[in-house]
Parts: sequence; structure tokens; C-alpha cells
Amino acid sequence: MELKNRILSFNWLVLLMGIFMLASGCANLPDPADPEAVAVYMQVNDPIEPTNRSVFALNNNLDKAILKPVAEAYSDSIPNAARLGIHNALNNLRTPVILLNDVLQGNLNRSLMTFMRFVINSTVGMFGLVDAASELGMARHIEDFGQTLAVWGVPSGSYLMLLFFGPSNPRDAAGLVVDFLTDPINIWTSHAEQLEISLGRDGAHAINKRALNLELLNEVEKSSLDFYAAIRSLYKQRRGNEISNGIVNTLLQTSGLTNYPGLQELDDEELSRRK
Amino acid sequence: MLKKFGLVGALVGIVLSAGFGVSVKADAIEDGSRQFIQVMADQAIQSLRADGLAQAERVKRFRVLFNDNFAVKSIGKFVLGRYWRKANDDEKKEYLSLFEDLMVISYVDRFGSYAGNALKLKNARTENKTTVTVFSEIKRPGGAKPIHIDWRVGTNGTIYKVLDVVVEGASMSSTMRSDFGSIIRQKNGKVSGLIDELKKKNRSLQAEMQNQ
Repeated sequence: MELKNRILSFNWLVLLMGIFMLASGCANLPDPADPEAVAVYMQVNDPIEPTNRSVFALNNNLDKAILKPVAEAYSDSIPNAARLGIHNALNNLRTPVILLNDVLQGNLNRSLMTFMRFVINSTVGMFGLVDAASELGMARHIEDFGQTLAVWGVPSGSYLMLLFFGPSNPRDAAGLVVDFLTDPINIWTSHAEQLEISLGRDGAHAINKRALNLELLNEVEKSSLDFYAAIRSLYKQRRGNEISNGIVNTLLQTSGLTNYPGLQELDDEELSRRK
Repeated sequence: MLKKFGLVGALVGIVLSAGFGVSVKADAIEDGSRQFIQVMADQAIQSLRADGLAQAERVKRFRVLFNDNFAVKSIGKFVLGRYWRKANDDEKKEYLSLFEDLMVISYVDRFGSYAGNALKLKNARTENKTTVTVFSEIKRPGGAKPIHIDWRVGTNGTIYKVLDVVVEGASMSSTMRSDFGSIIRQKNGKVSGLIDELKKKNRSLQAEMQNQ
């Protein structure tokens, strides 16, 4: 029980730190006479940018020193098939939280699908090692309490870089805490006073996730001028995509370039050359 | 709820558009866009994945492929956002050239692997008279879900160009716009500040490439 309390207070600590940071360093305010600058400032929604940047730098250093090398070693030394099994098993252990949030969001179809996935993968899928349900056309989706709050209409609040946990906002940070508290495995291990099982799973989850994103994050770091700003934009877009269950990303309005100005303007030269 | 409404809306849309004969035209640019992406992916496999290709040659080939298939200037202009109007003609020209260099050098490997990993084209959807979204996915080795890639294609019916690439819900052009915008704000709103940073970035990428 003692360990559980310690971990719980750790989670709250992270949250409190976030709230504290809201009160500290503030970004440069835009010129109120320039409506475009104000609009960009509102859209970026990162009033504590200097503080967030320091936490981001710290996270990056920790990542480069510990998590990234571990994930690279894991990715290089463990065969693909074994990593896939581990990935599937970790996902399967996560299904109760996904199911809870499917239900809380009132999504009957997805609740049923998550339930069926858990039953199929835990049995036919050999304790989750094989994602048999996906083969049967029941593809995995993720849900968490941060998404549920969003569906309920809770605003995200401003951008917040959490220590260890990375890009977030007050709503998603609160979601992290609720996900931890409602996860049956965490509840069970805390009752059995075996929280190291939960910690082990979280560690494995972190390594698995980092290993899957090795290439992508390398590319983003390589191609961006301001890594922090690129990650902030990516996080918001991905999160919006998850909350809308993949609908938002396909809508034209939310994307970048919404029509081809080149057909009339910039690339006119080239078009006439090609005709 | 929203989903249901969307489905009904789509059905109503299909019925209506079929009734007015709009769907025929939409189908034409949808097919054209899918075909365009498929041809581009095939070209990428052929030209970028050839055996024993030197990196410099690969970059050269990708530059041709990129300029042929992407609306490079329009994307560059979009990425600069509101600062495009503030830049003078020389800055615009220099910026577009540096933007193209950055795209070519930093995406040559990624594009090769996207196109090479058997890009699986799915459906396409007409967004408006000149824009189609082509949905696709690629399988990743080492398990996990396939990556969803949406190609935003602009067309006038005969010419097709990629306007944006949306990877798992994140638009590349929007991400770059935030990235570049943040740099310009740090440089007191000066496009020349961004140009300096782009030069630095391209130089370091170039050096990194030669060391490989």
C-alpha cells in the first residue's frame, strides 16, 4: 500500500508541477494591434512556452541518455516477430482502460469491438501475443480518459510539457492520472502489494513505444528547424485525430494547404510550359 | 452520433450527386489522382531504390521526382504563411530555393522507404473541384499497425500535384508552418532570419550526408 501511495503522489506531483508552471514563466505577448499575430498566439496556445521549452530540453536529454539507447538496443537485438508479440501483449493488457473509455464516450460499437478483441486475443491470441482479432477485421483503436474528457466537451487548456511524459495539456494530464487509477492491473497489483509488476509493464510500454517511433522522431528532428515547435504541432494534430477517432484528419478544412493556389498563381509558368 | 450523421450525410450526398450527374466528373479526378499517386510510388521504387546508387545521385533523382509531382512553390508559400507578404522578391526567391533543398535532402530517405514499403492505395475522396484526398497505408516491419498516409492532390483535370501529405492525422505542411513560424517569431518577424536558419540547416544536413 505504501508503494501505491508513493506512486499516486508522484502522479499528482507531476500534475501540480504543471499547474505551478502555468503560474511561472510566460511567453512574449503578441502586439495587440496586430490581429494576425494575436490569432497565431491563440492558435499556438502555449503561454508558458519558456518553461515548456526547458522541460522539453530536459526530457530530450533524458531520452538521449536512457530511453533512446535502450529502445535502439531493443529494436536491434530482438527479432521482429518477438517484438510484435510483446507489442500485442502490452496492447491487450491495456484493453480494459480502452473499453472503459469506449463506454464512457457512449460508443456502443467500439465498446463491443474492444470487448470482443479482449476475449479473442486473450484466448485464441495466446494471452494477447497474437492480435487475432485484427486478422478477423476488428482493428485496434486506442482510447484514454483525456479523449473521453474531450468528447465530453472539456477544453484542453494550454499546451503543457510534462516531465517524463512529454507533450500534454491539463486535460490530458488529468486523463493520465485517471487512466492510472482505473487500470485493473494497477488496482490488482496495488492490492497484492506487487506494484513492481505495474512499473515493469509501464517500463516495457515506454520502450516499445519509443522503439516504434525511433525512425519518425529522428526524421522530425532532422527536418525541422525548431524541433520543439514541430513536436507541439504534431502532438496537437495527432491528438485531434485520436479524439475524433480518425475523422478529423481526413477533413480538408483541418489540413494545411486546402486548395492549389499554384493552379492560378505561383506555378503558372510551369503549367503553361507543360501544355 | 456524429459518425452516424456523417454516414447519412454521405449517403444523401451520393444519391444527390448521382441524380445530378456530378459523380461522374468526381470519379474521373478521383481515379486520376489514385493513378497519379500509384505512378509516383512506382517511379520512386524504380529510381530511388536502384542497387548501388550513390547518395548524391539518389538526391538528384529525388529532386526531379519531387519537382515533377509536388506543388513545391505553393507548399513553400503556404508554409511561410502570413510572412510571405512581408518578404521582398529576393527573399521569396531565396526562401523557395532553400525550402526545396531542405525538402529534398531531408525527405529523400523517408520517401524512398514509404514508396518502397509497398504503398497500399485505398479509396479516394473528392474534396472540391480541384482537390482529391487519396488514402493509403504502409505496413511497418516489426509489427504494429500500418501507418496511414493521406495524399492531398490538387488537379485541374489534366495536371496532378501533391499539395500535402498527412501522416497519421498530422499534416506535414501545417507542421512545417508552425516550425518556420516559430523561428520567424524568434527572429523578430524577419524572413531573413528564417533564411539564415535554413542555410545553416541545409549545410549541416549536407555535411551529415557526405559523412555517411
